[in-house]
Amino acid sequence: MRLALLLAAAAAIAAVPVFFEDSYWRANLTICAINVMLAIGLDFILGYAGQLNLGHSAFYGIGAYASTLLIMKLDTPFWMAFALAMALSGVAGMALSIFAVRLRGHYLAIASLGFAVIVHQVLLNWISVTQGPLGIYAIKPPPAIALPGLPVIAFSNPANMFYLVAGFALLFYLLLDQLARSPIGETLTAIREDEVSAASLGINCAAWKVFAFGVGAAVAGAAGAFYASFVGTLVPDAFIITESFTILAMVILGGMGTLIGPVLGAIVLTILPELLRGFGDLRLVLYGFALMLAVLFMPGGMAQAARLARALCGRVLRAQVPG
Amino acid sequence: MSTVILQQGINGIVFGSLYVLVALGLTLIYGVLVQINFAHADVVTLGAFAAYFFTFVFGGNYLVSIGVALVVGAALGWLVNAAIFAPLRERGSELLPLIATIGASILLQNAMLIWFGPIPYAFDSPYSNAVLRLWGGTYITWQNLIIIGVSTLTIAMLYAFMKLTYMGKALRAVAQDRETAGLMGIDPNKLIMLTFVIASALAGMGGAMLGPILVLTPFAGTTVIVKAFAIVIIGGFGNVEGTIIAGLLVGLIESYTTQLVNPGLTDIVVFTLLLAMLALRPTGLIAEKREENV
Repeated sequence: MRLALLLAAAAAIAAVPVFFEDSYWRANLTICAINVMLAIGLDFILGYAGQLNLGHSAFYGIGAYASTLLIMKLDTPFWMAFALAMALSGVAGMALSIFAVRLRGHYLAIASLGFAVIVHQVLLNWISVTQGPLGIYAIKPPPAIALPGLPVIAFSNPANMFYLVAGFALLFYLLLDQLARSPIGETLTAIREDEVSAASLGINCAAWKVFAFGVGAAVAGAAGAFYASFVGTLVPDAFIITESFTILAMVILGGMGTLIGPVLGAIVLTILPELLRGFGDLRLVLYGFALMLAVLFMPGGMAQAARLARALCGRVLRAQVPG
Repeated sequence: MSTVILQQGINGIVFGSLYVLVALGLTLIYGVLVQINFAHADVVTLGAFAAYFFTFVFGGNYLVSIGVALVVGAALGWLVNAAIFAPLRERGSELLPLIATIGASILLQNAMLIWFGPIPYAFDSPYSNAVLRLWGGTYITWQNLIIIGVSTLTIAMLYAFMKLTYMGKALRAVAQDRETAGLMGIDPNKLIMLTFVIASALAGMGGAMLGPILVLTPFAGTTVIVKAFAIVIIGGFGNVEGTIIAGLLVGLIESYTTQLVNPGLTDIVVFTLLLAMLALRPTGLIAEKREENV
């Protein structure tokens, strides 16, 4: 079953650029894959470990700026910069978590929000390094892959870039899924449900929270590195705190605590606003309204809606087949 | 130099007293419900716009417009509670109402963007350019004098209400223990509603007075609210005295950082203080017996 789903996902990724030929939609697809990474990373922190992180944009921004600066200022090869950016974001997440390990709920929410404000302001004001609000331009795409005997795969081609980012998104999904199904995932949900009981079973809650924060933040760092090399320009306002709220909306509307939910949430919330461009500013009003309605009436998000639909279908089918 | 120090002190207190007005609302709501209200930001913004339109479009008096903003804020507070917090109360989640208010905030900001447009409004109150000279070469505009006067009066009235009246006592009882207060014949739902109305009225007023000293756009409230959250934590969530001290402190820190260090660093200094506070003394400046979140 899982293998079938995996193959279906791989086939979907392979097929999608064929259907969307113009570069505008191909660009959106890559942004979509980046958002999937951000959403599953945040879901691991929020949905599995129950840590109210409102500062995910900070880790995204750290990954983007770290990889770009390593490449442009220190001539680091792309993939090494990519790995270092992931590590740095992960360490930043762990640092914030250690800082906030005594805090729960709202205190952590405000602390992470404050952390995101600090990171954004540092990016804006550390002009000698980040060029502040002027931004960094002409960031190169990842280097082309030239395997012997095969045509060169250049990532300046939007379809190839999409395959690369979507491939990594799938890889991170599988890794997080594996983690969530392992005893580690059970440990994290135990902490989420009842920290005191978890501690009484000998679980080191603080260490596991730091771990979850580090993993989720590192995935956001990878998303940042891809974002920079894909878009080609970096400005601090791409990592403003409202970006955290957008990622949060993807996780909530998709269904937190499941991994497939945030994937759907990220896809829908990236594509839908593009389709609603004709509505102008009204689309963000609808967006806010949808977020509110989802929390009020469907707090489990699309994952819950899918379960309900499946149960309903099952009931209808059973009703049609008597006995 | 000492003139500069004094002058920045005055400016810091002006901003600080407005931060106190906004942060007090957050802390009152937190005290009663243990919930965070992100839509508070938009109550501030809408208060500012209400005052702007009352003064410049309908030709009203600026001082009266502060009262208009108060009423607009109170109405919006009632709505936020009725639409979001009341239906979600039984779920007992700390996350859902917070996310729902983020949704409400996105909705309100973009609705305002459609109505009012993205271009900043020039909101010069009639008192913005009237200057009162003070000792040692320092001065204060009448606008800032109004801000300090109205804020101080409002905060004093709120304090008296909380400590001296029966309603205020009931409110504090609900904050301390909702079930027991309910058994004593207090209707917690009514008092929670009252808290939202008072808190949002303060935010609306704050907006009316912030309008003339801030860049008035549909997103003006957000910058203020993020600082208000920092103030509420530095002062101790749910603690009125702590919030007042922390609000003035943040106003002064901002003002001196701008003058003596670098205007770009104000937010970094304030939020580093917030993180330091959380690491060293998470109960806030004045510790209260509310430990469940720490």
